[in-house]
Amino acid sequence: MSTLIIIDQSPYGSWAGREALDMTFSLAAFDQPAALLFVGPGVHWLCQGQNADNLGQKSVEKNLSAASMFGVEDILADAGSCARYNLAIEHLISGTTLVESIRDTIAGYNQVVFAG
Amino acid sequence: MTNRPARNNEGFLEDATTWSAQVAEDIAQEDKINMTENHWEIIWFLRDFYKEHEMSPPSNRLFVKAVKESLGSEKGDSIYLMTLFPGTPAKTACRIAGLPRPTNCL
Amino acid sequence: MTDTTLHITNKAPDHPRFRYCLSAFKEGDALILMEDAVLALTDQEQALPSTSYALSADAQARAVANRAPRQQLIDYNDFVQLTATYSRIINW
Repeated sequence: MSTLIIIDQSPYGSWAGREALDMTFSLAAFDQPAALLFVGPGVHWLCQGQNADNLGQKSVEKNLSAASMFGVEDILADAGSCARYNLAIEHLISGTTLVESIRDTIAGYNQVVFAG
Repeated sequence: MTNRPARNNEGFLEDATTWSAQVAEDIAQEDKINMTENHWEIIWFLRDFYKEHEMSPPSNRLFVKAVKESLGSEKGDSIYLMTLFPGTPAKTACRIAGLPRPTNCL
Repeated sequence: MTDTTLHITNKAPDHPRFRYCLSAFKEGDALILMEDAVLALTDQEQALPSTSYALSADAQARAVANRAPRQQLIDYNDFVQLTATYSRIINW
């Protein structure tokens, strides 16, 4: 049983994505295969150089960087969304894989769930 | 006893900057833990983890996983960590390390 | 079991997730429109797959039911039937 968690909302604007991240980490904690796919404005989760100190929030970039340590299998980003926001792979946190097709990507998972 | 920083109802520091090695020793004493090198290794690991990821390991299982990734499977072992930090190791160790309570630790 | 997906969405047609949903749709799949998504029935800018269904209660509430003859309106029993027919369900 593998689960793909899709985050399609930008960080810091709502708590939905953080809840999705909690869910992903919880799946990993119990050794359930889980991967994250960022699409649309959600790709900004992956940007390097985030600083949310003045918002009084924690950096989702830093939170996310614990994912592989916890056993989250893949961090995926929709290539088209990255292109739209002018993000090249070198702007994204290390370990991110670009995917060309959402349709082909979701086909590889038993379960697909969303944040919010 | 030295000047005691403010803590919440579960014993976690209200203000992370009030943490010191002495504060850690004092908090550990409440759980009848005498801090050894092995304890400190985990405490420093947790503080580094927090700096890098801006969170405590969210659950006990993830705490064990993170220790394993960083210090190897001998230390990243739930029995080993439970021996060092009785109760819920992630919770106990984070409290001593002056970090926030792990979010998913019951 | 064949790999077929039942896509369910409650997002209005101009919500980005509605677009992702359609882009993920493949042959053999089905789509259920509920809540705000039923507005897609009369959306002139958005073609729907032929195996699309809309929850009748939501379509009637928004007065789009009678203007969408080509789409199949379903009730809650049909909804449950459909969920049992496909190998996977994605809630968009």
